[in-house]
Amino acid sequence: MATVKVTEQKVILCGEYGVGKTSIFRRFANNTFISSNDRKSTLGLDNIDKEYLVDDKKIRLQLWDTGGMERVASVTSSYYKFAEAAILVFALDNATSFHLLSQHLLDIVTYAENAKIFLCGNKNDFESTALQVTDAEMEQFCEQCHNLISATYKTSCKTGQGINEMFEEIAHYLVETNRSRIGLHEMDQERFKISYVDESGDPSCVC
Amino acid sequence: MDEEYDAVVLGTGLKECILSGMLSVSGKKVLHVDRNKYYGGESASITPLEDLFSKFKAPPPDENYGRGRDWNVDLIPKFLMANGLLVKLLIHTGVTRYLEFKSVEGSYVYKSGKISKVPIDQHEALSSDLMGLFEKRRFRNFLVWVQNMQEDDPKTWDGFDPYNNNMSALYNKFSLDKNTQDFTGHALALYRDDEYIGQSAINTIRRIKLYSDSLARYGKSPYLYPMYGLGELPQGFARLSAIYGGTYMLDKRIDEIVMKDGKVVGVRSGEEVAACKQVFCDPTYVPDKVKKVGQVIRCICLLDHPIPGTGDALSTQIIIPQKQVNRNSDIYVSLVSHTHQVAAKGWFIAMVSTTVETGNPETEIKPGLDLLGPIRQKFVSVSDYLEPTDDGLNSQVFISTSYDATTHFETTCLDVLDIFKRATGEEFDFKKVKHELGDEDQ
Repeated sequence: MATVKVTEQKVILCGEYGVGKTSIFRRFANNTFISSNDRKSTLGLDNIDKEYLVDDKKIRLQLWDTGGMERVASVTSSYYKFAEAAILVFALDNATSFHLLSQHLLDIVTYAENAKIFLCGNKNDFESTALQVTDAEMEQFCEQCHNLISATYKTSCKTGQGINEMFEEIAHYLVETNRSRIGLHEMDQERFKISYVDESGDPSCVC
Repeated sequence: MDEEYDAVVLGTGLKECILSGMLSVSGKKVLHVDRNKYYGGESASITPLEDLFSKFKAPPPDENYGRGRDWNVDLIPKFLMANGLLVKLLIHTGVTRYLEFKSVEGSYVYKSGKISKVPIDQHEALSSDLMGLFEKRRFRNFLVWVQNMQEDDPKTWDGFDPYNNNMSALYNKFSLDKNTQDFTGHALALYRDDEYIGQSAINTIRRIKLYSDSLARYGKSPYLYPMYGLGELPQGFARLSAIYGGTYMLDKRIDEIVMKDGKVVGVRSGEEVAACKQVFCDPTYVPDKVKKVGQVIRCICLLDHPIPGTGDALSTQIIIPQKQVNRNSDIYVSLVSHTHQVAAKGWFIAMVSTTVETGNPETEIKPGLDLLGPIRQKFVSVSDYLEPTDDGLNSQVFISTSYDATTHFETTCLDVLDIFKRATGEEFDFKKVKHELGDEDQ
C-alpha cells in the first residue's frame, strides 16, 4: 500500500454504570451532550476514531465504550484486550462510583497489562457543595495505586470542559510511550485482523 | 429483568452469542442471561490456569507452569476455516474488529503409525510421502479436476456429473486407492466417517474447495486461531449484541421457562419474570426438551514441547482417519501454544478428541495421545452430545445442539443460521449490519 497508515491506539472507558462514559464517548465523537440517558443515540456505534497531531507526529485515538455491559453483567475481558490506554471514570458527585474504582482498575491490569491508565472525575459541573470526592482523595487514590495512574483529569460532559484537553494529553502520553516501545510491535508480525470483503459476486459490495 | 423482550437468550456459548448478536442487529429487544459468572459457557477459554486445575479437581499447578493468567485454555478444540462460514459471519457483523488471528502452521494426517503433511496443491502432492509414484499422479489429476470444475458449467465437468454420481464413482474415475480416499475424505473434505462415499459427489467437492480456498487465504494451512483463545469469539458477538441494545446478565439462576398454551411467554428467575415471545438456549438449560444422541471425549494435554515430527510447529492439526485405527469416526489432535497468548512461555496445549464408540473412551484416544511425546498434565472430559427433540416452531423455544467433535466451526454456524431461519422465518440479512457499520467508519 502506498499510503502510510496511522496506527490506531485503542482507548477504553471503564467505570461504574451512569458515571458518564457514554457522554464522554459522545463528546469525543461529535461534541454533543444529551442529558437524559438516551441510549438509542449510540446504538450500533462501536468505537470512534480521531486523529491527533503531537509534535508533527500523527496519532489516531480509537475510543471504545462499554455498550452498557457493566450495568447488570460484567464487561467482557476481550473489551480490554489490545487496549493502549484506559480511562477510569467516576462521577465527582457520587462517592460510591469513586470507591468502586479499584475493581475496575484490577480488571484493567489483569486484561490490559500494558495499557496506560488515566483517572477522570466527571460531572465537574455541580456546585462545589454537591461534590463528594475531593482532589486530596483523588491524589490519595493514585498514591495507593503505586503510580499506575499516569494522570488525572476533571471533566464535565455537560459543558464540555476538560474533555478535549484530556484526549490531547492522552495522545501525547501514547506518542511518548510508543517512542520508548518502538520495535515491540514488529516482534509479532504474524498476527493479523481479517478484514477483506468477500468475493466480487457478494451483494454487500454494492454500497 | 421484569420487562418485556422480543427474545430471551440463555447461555453465552458461541452459538447463543452469535444468535443474540444477529437478533439485536435485526432490531429485536434481547435479554441475554447466563447462570455462570463468566461469558462463554462451554466455549469459554479458562483463565487463570489455577481455575482449569480446580475445574478438573487437580492439585494447583506448580511454578513450572509460569504465570496462571498467561493461560487461556479452551474446553472445546476447534479452528476457523479461513474461507468458512464463521469468518464470513465475523466479517459481515464487524465482530472481526475485536479479534486478531494467527494461521495454524501445519495440517497433518496419520498413516500407518506416523504423520505426514496433508498435501493440497500439485507440488505438495508430488513430494508427499503418503503415496507411491503412480498414485501421486492420479491424485494430482484429481486435484486439478476439482480445482477447475465449476458447479454451474457442465463443460468443466469432463463428462462427470457431480450431482448424479456419488463420491465412490469420482474416486473410481481417477482410480484413487483406499489410502488416498482416506486422507481425501478425512483430511481435506474433513468428514468424520465414511458415509459421504455413497452420497452425491458435489458435497465432497465443495468441501475440498473450501479447504483449498481457505488455504489460499493465508498460506500455511486452511485454519485460523484467535489470539487469547476461542473464548474471545462468544465475547465478541456478545459485545455486538450489547452495542445494538442487548441487555446482559451473568450469574443469574434460571428457574423456569414459563409456557402458556404450549407457547413460551417468559423466563423466571426467583420472583422475577422476563416476558418474551421467544427463547433461545443451549441444551443444558432445557434438559426435558433434548435427547442424548452420543458422546464426545476431549483430552486437554499440557506439554512443554511441540509435537514430534511437525517441524516444531507452534500450532498444528493432526487427523487420524478412522480406518487407520479400526474405528468408525476420526480422532483429532490440535495444538496451540504460547504464541497465541493461551499458554505461558514455552508451553503448548494439545487436545485429543473424538466421538465415543466404546464403553472405555480413554483407550479410544490413545493413538492420538501416543503422538504427543511426554505429557505434563492431562485433563479428560466426556460430554453428552445433545439434540433438541423438536424444531421449536410451536413452543418458540429454540434449542441449539451441543458442540460436535468436528475440528472447525462449519457445523456450529449451520446450526446457528438454521435456528435463526426457523425463529424469524427469514435468512439472516448480512447486508443489514454491513450498512450501518459502514456509516460509522466515516
